[in-house]
Amino acid sequence: MTRPDPILLEIVAAALVSAAEEMSVTVWRTSRSTTVRELLDYSTAVFDGEGRNVAQAARMPVHLNSMELCLRHIAAHHIPLAEWREGDVIVTNDPYCGGQHLPDFIAFKPVFHGGRRIGITCVLIHHVDVGGGAAGGYNAHAVEVFQEGLRLPPVRIVRAGEMQEDLFATILQNVREPETFRGDFLSQVAALDVGARAMRRLADRYGAETLGAVGAALLDHAEAAMRGAISALPDGTYHAEDFVDGDGLEPGAKRIAVALTVSGDEIALDFAGTSPQARGPINATLATTTSAVYYAVIAACGVTATVNSGCYRPIRVTAPEGCLVNAAFPAPVSMRMLPGHKIATAVLRAFAEILPERIPASYYGTTFNHAVNIRHADGRRQVYFDAELGGWGAHPERDGPNGLAAGFHNGQNTPVEMIEALFPLRFTRYGLIPGSGGAGRMRGGLGIVREWEFLAESGLLNTSFDVFDKAPYGLAGGAPGRCGALSVTRDGVTTPLAAKTIGYPLRPGDIVRMETPGGGGHGDPALRDEAARAADRADGYVVD
Amino acid sequence: MAGGRRITLAVDIGGTFTDLEFRDSLSGETHSLKSPTTPDDPARGLTEAVALAGERFGFAPGDVSLILHGTTIATNAILTRDLPKGALVTTAGFEDVLEIGRHARTDIYALRGPDRTVLIPRRRRFGAPGRIDARGNEVRPLDPPALAGVVEAVAATDVEAVAICLLNAFANPAHEIAIRDALAARLPGLAISCSHEVSPEIREFERTATTALNALLVPVIARYATTLRARLAEAGIGAPVLLIQSNGGAISLDAAARLPVRLLLSGPSGGVLAAQALARRLGIPDVAGVDMGGTSYDVAVVAGGECGVVAQGEIDGLPVRAPMVEMITIGAGGGSVAHLDATGRLMVGPRSAGAMPGPVCYRRGGEEPTVTDVNLILGRLDGARFLGGRFALDREAARAALEARIARPLGLDLDRAAAGVLAVVNAKLAASIKTALFARGLDPRDFALMSFGGAGGLHACEVAEELGVRRVIFPRDPSTFSAHGILSSDIRHDLSRAGIMRPEEASLPALAAMATELQEAGEALLEADGIDPGRRRMSFSADIRYRGQAFELMTDFPEGPLSATTLSELRERFEAQHRRRFSFDDPAEAVEIVTLRLTATGLLGEEGAAAPAYAASEAAEPGSRPVHVDGAWTEVPVIRQLSLAPGALVEGPAVVEQDYTTMLIPGGWSLTMKETGDMIAEKRA
Repeated sequence: MTRPDPILLEIVAAALVSAAEEMSVTVWRTSRSTTVRELLDYSTAVFDGEGRNVAQAARMPVHLNSMELCLRHIAAHHIPLAEWREGDVIVTNDPYCGGQHLPDFIAFKPVFHGGRRIGITCVLIHHVDVGGGAAGGYNAHAVEVFQEGLRLPPVRIVRAGEMQEDLFATILQNVREPETFRGDFLSQVAALDVGARAMRRLADRYGAETLGAVGAALLDHAEAAMRGAISALPDGTYHAEDFVDGDGLEPGAKRIAVALTVSGDEIALDFAGTSPQARGPINATLATTTSAVYYAVIAACGVTATVNSGCYRPIRVTAPEGCLVNAAFPAPVSMRMLPGHKIATAVLRAFAEILPERIPASYYGTTFNHAVNIRHADGRRQVYFDAELGGWGAHPERDGPNGLAAGFHNGQNTPVEMIEALFPLRFTRYGLIPGSGGAGRMRGGLGIVREWEFLAESGLLNTSFDVFDKAPYGLAGGAPGRCGALSVTRDGVTTPLAAKTIGYPLRPGDIVRMETPGGGGHGDPALRDEAARAADRADGYVVD
Repeated sequence: MAGGRRITLAVDIGGTFTDLEFRDSLSGETHSLKSPTTPDDPARGLTEAVALAGERFGFAPGDVSLILHGTTIATNAILTRDLPKGALVTTAGFEDVLEIGRHARTDIYALRGPDRTVLIPRRRRFGAPGRIDARGNEVRPLDPPALAGVVEAVAATDVEAVAICLLNAFANPAHEIAIRDALAARLPGLAISCSHEVSPEIREFERTATTALNALLVPVIARYATTLRARLAEAGIGAPVLLIQSNGGAISLDAAARLPVRLLLSGPSGGVLAAQALARRLGIPDVAGVDMGGTSYDVAVVAGGECGVVAQGEIDGLPVRAPMVEMITIGAGGGSVAHLDATGRLMVGPRSAGAMPGPVCYRRGGEEPTVTDVNLILGRLDGARFLGGRFALDREAARAALEARIARPLGLDLDRAAAGVLAVVNAKLAASIKTALFARGLDPRDFALMSFGGAGGLHACEVAEELGVRRVIFPRDPSTFSAHGILSSDIRHDLSRAGIMRPEEASLPALAAMATELQEAGEALLEADGIDPGRRRMSFSADIRYRGQAFELMTDFPEGPLSATTLSELRERFEAQHRRRFSFDDPAEAVEIVTLRLTATGLLGEEGAAAPAYAASEAAEPGSRPVHVDGAWTEVPVIRQLSLAPGALVEGPAVVEQDYTTMLIPGGWSLTMKETGDMIAEKRA
């Protein structure tokens, strides 16, 4: 295949990204659930005919960087690419078939032009429910993936353009909100089709041959950028570790150990020494782990202009089978974000030794998902679900931002006034926690406190928190950020609760307080600039 | 006096030029003029432009009866942080809402913390006691000693402006009012903005940010109003001045000084209004209006003759909760820089050379080739006639820069490299239009493109071709199109009240009470503007959603008094809108009104003589020059726009020029001059 002309390359490259964007807009426009529409928990991408990811619509690193692994797994173990026919849609949500956790359904559609496969489109959506032991798919009691919900191996849900209604009905029968699921799933299928049409238009206009050549050149450019960045790093092996507090079922923190080896223009990450997989659902499959590693390596190398699977080529990820970051069937995995965040912070910590001028101290390090099952006096039931995050780690050149999304995920908060208008909660505090940022020449960002009074007849509080014991690390002499905490105050008595609290009964008048961690500090606190110190005191970011 | 003329002036003060368009309501004639902006004192540039226009077109300062004024003063004050010191009073425990915001980030791979706009630092944010709940009930009173403490704390900060934003104040403003009165009594002359007045809508962060922006802008706009009044008095102009808001409507200087946040992002609204008006006049209801300037490309969709209005915009990463004309902006313009990235790929923009140093051909120190340089190299721009010949362009310097930085490294000859840069930028412009339409479920092939702004005419037909669009509209005067739009503005006050309720019969009393309150406020504002009752128009709309959704659609109320019937029709309208935008509706699901809105309009347009018909005003001087178009150098006719008589036809390839803009008509396209002086280019079948 000849290299495409540099002008044509840019025009077709932009059109491929635009195809992924059109798919993304289609999901946003036609899906039903608030998870998809407001939390934007979905991603879209375009692959070449060989199944290599050539273009992405920027959304969630956790999704985007795992799609190709899933595709390869399906092709190698379930449905070879040669058997993908025109009009088929192949879907799976199985963490043990290349997925991450059950709510994420990953759907692919091959694109044909002149009888030849010229591409594949992919849409990943986090669906509102997948059956199993807890609404929404986060069953904290699960000790096997079977308790987490319906598991769909890679199957052709659409064959030659025909929706397989028997199969679809079977899925819908097994989820709690079938209408919403159905709407979101149809939007997923529609978006695959929008992407496929866009790719066929490109093949009509520029020729399938050129389209293939452009895809290959884009991957080569991204790979070259990545290899160039890695070559600039000194060869050697660098070790780091970080921790997940525990699974809430058994005592003890879980260690994530990584050995990062730079050799020429390649990089290898090995997780030998990581704790064995947990009994509870804080495990990660290798797809989650690889996706977290890709995020951290791409961010550390600063190669962000055009992220595609060319970036992955010089990166190798290995982990012992049956450990926390390469869980073996049938380990439960619904809270895979917990190890996911810590894999990213461990890898970044290893980079800090090589790139001390680029790498920040640890951010808050987890997603603070929580929910209350509410029962009103009149018997009406409601579920309140929310998520919180904390402070950034300090960067060698600047303080960490206070209370801002970082790392492996991204997310928006819900306005207090909107929550109060819809749920029987009254907030007493939503703000920054003075002193929670790690001290340093550069200060870590502050964590967030959320405090509300429960007003309904009764409720059950569920949390899947972390970073209550193992603090976000500081770097270069900076202090760690302060850990998170959870408590309930009833009749003037405050009771601390565990990070993974399951079904704690709430009464009217209870005050629930959650504190998220601040980020780690960077550099010796004694070297902090006097003006910055004075500003910290004046603004009350620190406590005396 | 120049003999009983009655002049309405529209003034649009931009970064480089002050554009003026005026209409004499007695003769119906309109004229436009461009003169340099005076950044140190923009009001001086305004009066100078008026004087210049008076000399050229024969009217006296006293003939001016109304000035409609588009300004970027508020926007620039925010972007350059040229703001007074301010304080913020919130409900105790929520002082950090302004800083935390909605806490999502934009660059997902960045490891260095982003710059975050925090308008008022934590040391000047004060918590007040007292609590109102979501229904507006007082849960905890505003304790007087604690209130006195807050007032003294503010007094100790020595600020010029204070924003007050308490939780749920949109449902019950009593505590905000009490704090405002206490502050005003203790600190006379302090600029105070309350959230229930600036943005009485649910969502505390958006309301706080909007109120803080407003408070800090009050002294800025008050100072400008004082200077402007003084300059106008010096120039002998006694006409009232109205400022243009982001919703496209006008507002009095006094009202603007109370609600200056409404002026933010008003810049492009004039152009969109003009596009909407022209689309209607030409009978072409579906138009994508594109405004290409030096650094940005604004796309606004006019569908079915209407441009969209949204309830919120954004400045510097902060939400601005004020109704504004819907548009998307991308960083691509004449100043966009062509460069190679680390792996040797060709990139055009989003970085811009701006006005300084500007394109290489400006010879002001710019070294990187820009889109303007490439247009010059390919003969599309005439270096000798740029800006009416007052500003000669250096083509050789542009060629040398493109050769060294793009052509040679890519192994392309100069023409191919130049055409390549244009192809890349045109693809990017086309993609932005496609996205704007696609997001609303519309197909570009059903649309016409309307091109305005100084740089757009060279790209419009090729962008249209890329989109499958077969018709391009060039307004008569694309470079002062925005001022032209401002000229047709009316006074407009947008009022709102938040309150979550169902559009059902049971809600009628509460809704009716809110509507009456809004209507009375609207009437009072128009009364203060001196608008006769017969020229007032009131229209209600509501922000509506399905229960559980976290965003709303703005839906117009049916005409007529509130009743169960209008409510059920409102629901039907909402569902039709929802289907159009999101491809489904859900008749079984409950619907909620979140905000009730009133637009109170005071009509300004005077009944006057109709505009005289357009006629050619320049002699045809046949000319031609070599232009690189359709992939090759061709000797192409160059035609002066104002030499074209109505009905004149220009076959592409051709170049049509006027002083401030150039239009390229490629082969396969033909351009027709219309009776109105506007032009339409069509792709031949």
